[in-house]
Amino acid sequence: MDKKTVSTIAYLSRLSLNEENGEKITKDLENIIKFVDQLENADTQNIEPLASPLEKTAKTRNDEVTAKNRKETFLERSPKSNDDYFLVPRVVE
Amino acid sequence: MSIQFKTINELSHMLKNKDISNKELIEETFSLIDTNTHLNAFVTLNKDASLLKAEELDKNPSSLALAGIPVAQKDLFCTKDLRTTCGSNMLSSFIPPYSATVIENLENAGCISVGKTNMDEFAMGSSNETSFYGNVQNPWGDKLVPGGSSGGSAAVVAAGIVPAASGTDTGGSIRQPASLCGISGLKPTYGRISRWGMIAFASSLDQAGPMARTAEDCALLLNEMCSHDHKDTTSLDEAIPDFTKDLNLPIKGLKIGLVKEFDLSKLDNEVVKVFEESKKQYESLGAEFIDISLPNISLSVPTYYVVAPAECSSNLSRFDGVKFGKRCDDPKDLEELYIKTRSEGFGDEVKRRILIGSYVLSAGFYDAYYKKAQQVRRLIKNDFDSAFKQIDVIMSPTTRGGAFEEGSKGDDPIQMYLEDLFTIPANLAGLPALSIPNGIVDNKPIGLQLIGNFLEESKLLQVAHNFQISTDWHKKTPNGDVKS
Repeated sequence: MDKKTVSTIAYLSRLSLNEENGEKITKDLENIIKFVDQLENADTQNIEPLASPLEKTAKTRNDEVTAKNRKETFLERSPKSNDDYFLVPRVVE
Repeated sequence: MSIQFKTINELSHMLKNKDISNKELIEETFSLIDTNTHLNAFVTLNKDASLLKAEELDKNPSSLALAGIPVAQKDLFCTKDLRTTCGSNMLSSFIPPYSATVIENLENAGCISVGKTNMDEFAMGSSNETSFYGNVQNPWGDKLVPGGSSGGSAAVVAAGIVPAASGTDTGGSIRQPASLCGISGLKPTYGRISRWGMIAFASSLDQAGPMARTAEDCALLLNEMCSHDHKDTTSLDEAIPDFTKDLNLPIKGLKIGLVKEFDLSKLDNEVVKVFEESKKQYESLGAEFIDISLPNISLSVPTYYVVAPAECSSNLSRFDGVKFGKRCDDPKDLEELYIKTRSEGFGDEVKRRILIGSYVLSAGFYDAYYKKAQQVRRLIKNDFDSAFKQIDVIMSPTTRGGAFEEGSKGDDPIQMYLEDLFTIPANLAGLPALSIPNGIVDNKPIGLQLIGNFLEESKLLQVAHNFQISTDWHKKTPNGDVKS
């Protein structure tokens, strides 16, 4: 786990690390990855991965409209919106 | 008559006998909240609405199971029109437009949600030290942590402010704080309680559950919290029994498994002594102990620290400053909006876990970490499946010791992660598990963990209740014994 790897995963996570916490977090990540590396020793040949303890596929339901249009309710919780849209800085020049 | 340290049943009787009105009960609850502000256990109070609901109940008495009972809700559950922060700066002004199904279920049973409890940020922590809203104080001592992540919920029940609180448990977040605060707490089978409206941390592990003074009260709460919910595709469509029905059945002949791989020799002598005493207690109740082996259980913590961060990095990508929650000031473009918002909005522990998650899911490492961890997860679940062929429940300490001091785990996150050594396996396998108080060491409560087979909450609660009708550890409080 070097600085370059950490800055790549930080970018993938859309997080920026400053000088001060960057070094500490790099060291922590290195230790955590070292800690989880003990999984290597487990014999998992021919073992199917377990993604959820229920192992049931998601249930489907009838394709019926149940939700009401609550545009206003949701837009008013946005940090920035107009009557119809969530607003963000201009993307297309 | 004081309401402090009363159980749900006791308060219900007081209300029915008109020893106290609904309004008086809520007023007294808020005066207890006022005299305990040093605990820092609440992030947001719901006083006006609570008093209104109480007045309404005085006018129109209700026969609902939990009518008028004050309950504290973990600040991870969305509550309609009541601020929900999840312990984070990211959601410091978030007012949900709807309530979580489990909150609706409790309120439909007559509960009064008096406030939202403090917690580790996004439920990531075992000491309540990662909350943006400050540490929660354990009522058992100055500078002692209440555990986490449901630390505020555990503290308010332990301080006798409310008889019950909701919690969530991803790797021990109900059971570990219950243990450190001397109360009872249950994590049900994965899927028993709907996750709709619970702010997601690790979706294949998260499960809500009750925290209360007794196993009996946990059963009363669980009766109301469970439901099949079509809004949560992992919600179980199974019969929901009356969890109080079997509480008083004797446990003669019960087979209790002791996990050989849980090395208790590394624990404090006094903590081991407490565990041995509980074994004797169960023997006197007619239970039989059987040594079992869960060969892969020592890999639970590393497995968890791949699976949980991976799911968290995916779940927390929704916090981007666009649709709800915090947004940074004056971003120059969309990318800076994302990066600055997330960097300002999340604390260090949350960032650490997102980064680990992004790392183990990234191309080139996916098989070595994420897939590998999911394979080990199956091995761990298989171990439990075999064990439950010969036993009814598994018993262990809940934690390695009592409450520790703030800051005492130092700078090393792994020391904190090991706090959940005994609790994490049940989350990986999706099994129900609970913690009940079973001793005091150095004036700090100690907890006993019981893990059950799939959907066997009734049996777990029966085993816990049998312990509580024959001992009085659950009656110990920071202010001395509760008189019954």
